[in-house]
Amino acid sequence: MTNASEVLSSIQSAFPGAVLDSRVESDRRLWATIDSNKILDVCKHLSSKLNFDHYSGSAGVDWIARKEMEVVAIMASHGAHQVVAMLKVKTPRENPSVKSLTGLYWNANWYEREIWEMLGINFEGHPELYPLLLSDGLMGAWPWRKDFKGYPDLTTGERAVAITTTEGYTEYHFPPTPAEIEAGTVVTQRPKYPSFREREEREIKSDSEMIMHLGPQHAMVPGPFLLDILVEGERVKKAFLDIGYIHKGIEKIMENRTWLQGITYTDRMCYVASLSNNECYCGAVEKILGLEVPLRAQYIRVILEELSRIQSHLIGTGEFLTLIAGVGFAPWQYMIMDREKIISLIESVTGARLTHTFVRFGGVRNDLPEGFAEQCRKDLPYMKSRIEEFIELFAQDPIYHARMENIGSISAETAKRMGCAGRVLRAAGVAYDMRREDPILVYPELDFDIVTGTRGDSADRIDVTLREILQSIRIIEQCLDKIPSGPIKTDVKIPKKIPAGEAYYRVEDPRGEMGMYVISDGGDKPYRVKVRGPFYATFQTLTPLLEGVYIADAVAIAGSMDGCPSESDR
Amino acid sequence: MLKRKMIKNFTWPLKTATQEIEVTRLYPEVMMELPAAERGIHELNATICIGCGSCARVCPNSCIEMVHFKFGNPLKNKKMQFPQIDYGRCMFCGLCVDECPVECLKMGQRVTMAGWERKDIIKGPDFLATKRFSSKEVADLEAEAKRIAAEKKRIADAKKAAEKEGAAKEGAAKKPAKEGAAANGAAKKKAAAAEAKPKEGGAA
Ligand code: SF4
Ligand code: SF4
Repeated sequence: MTNASEVLSSIQSAFPGAVLDSRVESDRRLWATIDSNKILDVCKHLSSKLNFDHYSGSAGVDWIARKEMEVVAIMASHGAHQVVAMLKVKTPRENPSVKSLTGLYWNANWYEREIWEMLGINFEGHPELYPLLLSDGLMGAWPWRKDFKGYPDLTTGERAVAITTTEGYTEYHFPPTPAEIEAGTVVTQRPKYPSFREREEREIKSDSEMIMHLGPQHAMVPGPFLLDILVEGERVKKAFLDIGYIHKGIEKIMENRTWLQGITYTDRMCYVASLSNNECYCGAVEKILGLEVPLRAQYIRVILEELSRIQSHLIGTGEFLTLIAGVGFAPWQYMIMDREKIISLIESVTGARLTHTFVRFGGVRNDLPEGFAEQCRKDLPYMKSRIEEFIELFAQDPIYHARMENIGSISAETAKRMGCAGRVLRAAGVAYDMRREDPILVYPELDFDIVTGTRGDSADRIDVTLREILQSIRIIEQCLDKIPSGPIKTDVKIPKKIPAGEAYYRVEDPRGEMGMYVISDGGDKPYRVKVRGPFYATFQTLTPLLEGVYIADAVAIAGSMDGCPSESDR
Repeated sequence: MLKRKMIKNFTWPLKTATQEIEVTRLYPEVMMELPAAERGIHELNATICIGCGSCARVCPNSCIEMVHFKFGNPLKNKKMQFPQIDYGRCMFCGLCVDECPVECLKMGQRVTMAGWERKDIIKGPDFLATKRFSSKEVADLEAEAKRIAAEKKRIADAKKAAEKEGAAKEGAAKKPAKEGAAANGAAKKKAAAAEAKPKEGGAA
């Protein structure tokens, strides 16, 4: 199987001089700085010759002291090999600009847009450089640059000035104070682009078409986002997605908090997956530190992360089922009730029900309490019988079938090309799971299957989710048998200042592949944390999936993705 | 007719409301059992808190402020500063508990804390302290603290005086070499003697 050094030598021999700097961290991680003129060729080479068919995201980094910016593309493969190549391209800080990879990888679109709006790096050849997460008012402030001084305080309503528009609506504006203008915290130069409204209205071609708004508060996915669909009769002609309604700037906040405090923020990216978010961040920092986690702590982490996966799948599925008819509402109630049991199990260890702040650098916070294993052995078989019942229940319901089967189908090829994650990808038949691809903790020692579907439609997604719960139960049962006694924290003292370095760590979040790219400059705070969330990747594929479907199916498709805008917006 | 019906709209609820019908019920009906690891409202053992402020420094939300509280241990906590927590900001992450060097801060099973105003949920050490000294114990401890302080001071003063004497002697030995230094030493000795005198008197 291909390993990182082979990939590096292949690039070097194909493009002599293109690799400016490189580091082979392990068989699975390659770090390389590529000549910015050659990046497109190198990527072409990687995807055609070396099976790098998975563009997993990219991160922008502002190296203010070196007067340059960096765009790091994260490249991987859907199962052909396990190398993750982190390809960096440098650009000067004055008028930063790099080549866009959207021509090669469809899903580079959102990642590059985000880097553009946050750091002001231009992407040559990008088809639609429009803001994604930020509001129009913040455009041009480039908030993730290191010299961002903070936007004027808009939290006080007293400053708002009411203006009546030509259409008779009242709008509120916040004129900057002279002090703010002097401090340079006000955006003076805004980039020019058509607004979201203008963009969607451009697409209306005839009088029989109209735009329908679903959201920003819509039930199909918990969390706010705006889905506008252009409809003609009952058919969706085109869909427009506007996200960023719950953008919290977590990555930027973490740059301003100590390493330890950062753990609490990872909880809040997606509250039903907070344990895997904890794991991802702590794992990355452990990688920089070169820390070994005690075996017992590894088992505890696996047990809790799998429990967390079960509860996340239950709420994700249950909530979605309320939106479609058929077996409908009742399973939701039962799923929520069953989920309580799992939540209580997690709570008995972590002390919190949702935001756990549980994983620590080199260990975990608490040991398993007395009687935990017994309680698990009591609850898990029950859960198993319940899930089997649910699977059977959905399999026999004709209304459920009518609403879910062959709705929002996606082929394996398309799913890979679009970079979907988690259940959407696996339902299409691609067995891509981080627990196998990039195994962490004690996963290699555990026996479990990667559940896949065949049709890639909404029904398959639910089916995959439910069967994944059965696998999680299997994993936990093995862990309970195998867990050794011993310390739950490393005895190495974690320094307040983490030594300079960088790491990319991936975990299998309930929603799919999640990665965190953490950079330390040797300080007591992270220099940069980039979160590559799974739902962000899947969310991007929603608009093309909705083209041509019935309006009523929009809900069945969007809901079946088990979305969490809070995580995609961060 | 209509009017009479309208009147009934008011009389009926009045009549039923005065009968013993349960309208508002406590929810949840039974409080769920919380595990031992629960991260609820903090519990402060004021008898061992040393007032180091580590908890306040680690808090990601800056919700801990160190305030004065009477019923702690003046021997260990010289300034009698104890944590006060703003539950309007606290997210119950438990980092403060992990960071406490003497393990006097814990999180317990208490979870209700509603108040009418924001300031009602800023809870001081008086609310948080599950263990504290009584006024009498504090008075005793304070007396003890004073005694120890006085003792320490006496020892320190004696040491200082001895040191100075030593320095003076050295100075005297060096006298032939450096006149200025010797004069300096002698002056210091004088000053030290003058300082020591009233204190001795005080102690006596
Ligand atoms: S509670 Fe603990 S950390 Fe906080 S001031 Fe007291 S001793 Fe220090
Ligand atoms: S629990 Fe967390 S947020 Fe609350 S006071 Fe402690 S450190 Fe601060």
